[in-house]
Amino acid sequence: MAQAFATTALILIATAAALQIAFLMRKGQTADPVSQWMLLASSLLLLAVTVDRSVRISFPAVTNTYESLVFFSAVVCALAFVLRLVMKSAVTRFVLLGATIFALALLMISSSPLAPRHIQPPIPALQSLWLVLHVTFSFIGEAFFVVSLVSAIVQLVSRNVERKAEADRITYTSVAIGYPIFTAGALIFGAIWAEVAWGQWWSWDPKETWALITWLVYTAYLHTRLVRRLRGGGSAVLAIIGFAFTLFTFFGVNFLLSGLHSYG
Amino acid sequence: MHVLYRFLKSVRLAIVVILLITALSLLSTLVPQGRESEFYRTRYSPALYGLIAALGFNRYFSSALFLVPVTIFALNLGVCAVDRVVRRARMKTQKRFGPDIVHMALLVLIAGGLVTTLGRTEKDFVMSQGQKAEVTPHYSIKLLSFEYLKYENGSPRAWISIVDVLRDGVLEAKAFPIRVNHPLRLKGVSVYQATWENQSTFLFRDTTGAETTARIGEGFEDSDSVWYLADVVEDGGIQKALLQQYRGNVLVSIRKLAVAESLGQYTLVRVQQNLVTGLRTVSDPGFSTVVVGAVLLACGLLLTFVQNRSKEIA
Repeated sequence: MAQAFATTALILIATAAALQIAFLMRKGQTADPVSQWMLLASSLLLLAVTVDRSVRISFPAVTNTYESLVFFSAVVCALAFVLRLVMKSAVTRFVLLGATIFALALLMISSSPLAPRHIQPPIPALQSLWLVLHVTFSFIGEAFFVVSLVSAIVQLVSRNVERKAEADRITYTSVAIGYPIFTAGALIFGAIWAEVAWGQWWSWDPKETWALITWLVYTAYLHTRLVRRLRGGGSAVLAIIGFAFTLFTFFGVNFLLSGLHSYG
Repeated sequence: MHVLYRFLKSVRLAIVVILLITALSLLSTLVPQGRESEFYRTRYSPALYGLIAALGFNRYFSSALFLVPVTIFALNLGVCAVDRVVRRARMKTQKRFGPDIVHMALLVLIAGGLVTTLGRTEKDFVMSQGQKAEVTPHYSIKLLSFEYLKYENGSPRAWISIVDVLRDGVLEAKAFPIRVNHPLRLKGVSVYQATWENQSTFLFRDTTGAETTARIGEGFEDSDSVWYLADVVEDGGIQKALLQQYRGNVLVSIRKLAVAESLGQYTLVRVQQNLVTGLRTVSDPGFSTVVVGAVLLACGLLLTFVQNRSKEIA
């Protein structure tokens, strides 16, 4: 059943992306009327997958790469839906498409051999509420960074001054919301979990170091907003670099560098 | 003095230092940390090895390369925070103090990190059932039992060391279960479930009647393969020795052997299961400061967001 839910979500997200592209290629300014509902349905289906696996292992299912990808994709879809509800500008349509394609990419990776989907109950180190908070808050924060990535790209490539300003506003707002959530999840809850599990709240493990690097880049981004000369293009570039580091922290460290986070 | 103050409170300095720490930390993850110099000498070219050794890149997080920028960052944060507070006191209209709390929280976190680096101690030890261990001059623990629980698929579910806690020889807590994510907290020290060891023994008799005692990991040759003792397992309510047969490095078969059963020229006479627990005591005087810093940071970030939002709405 869970597999059918995940497959249906993948088909819905792919269809939503196709619809959004079709409407963007039309000359009119109207957005398609249904793709956001497809994204909401996908998000609910993916959350159902998480709930189903959680029931089976008697623990919140966010303890391996497959489960993380499904949860991350669900959050991105939900955020894209909310974004479409609260913002109606032209930039939002691009941001929505970017987020949709990103959610699709996450689900496609979750279907690949890189993320084995067999259900495994958590090993003792993972049986912690702090871990659940660490993972969920990190991904919710990172979902906002997905939005900031797309709007930063729009900001850099657009020639329209109004559109640039609108994209800049979306980038800043999404980082301003995502940054505290990411800080709480990746750094604070992660450090508390490490102390409770191993007695060492920070060990300079590659994943910890990369999470800190990502956090520093977004910290730098927020500070560039205070320097007039760096505002605009400079800060948009930092938002893009920040997201590249977010991705590397999640995928790159898991597959290229060894450390304490080999399970997810 | 004024120039130095202006330099230290500069946002540009903050950006430059943050990006510098970012770039250096990024490079540090590409170099394995804390190995012996021989490791770097054999792995890298002489020029690169010389650079790593000279800059202390093999121990980056305790090197000047990291500590100097972090010190400048802390100074920048401190001066910036003080400057903001002073400015707000002069201009009474400015009420956005969320960023100030964030800056102070970061200073508290850095201070906590420093205290941890300088004052944290840890000690690993193993205990068998019935053994006593002194944890601090006042506290000691006595291991009542150690349990290794497994899921149906054989993966570990829990390691639980059940201990009595004694303070100056008097029982303070009875049968406290120490497990991963559930440490025993005492005054100034915590005890963690860190590891376990299988010290089970197996008594074999060969065809000549000679007896040999073997431990986990030991084995014997059988024509072109070797049988290794891997574990003690319960099978149908009977304790059995789990043996793995290797040909070269390849696992070719597994066999469960009960008492009185034979494998090759050996007959199993007795199985004595003995699991010992590995515990770790940790004393970290910096962690409480870090928790205070983390709480302040969360409050500061939340307040910054709320104040920004209110400003936007206004």
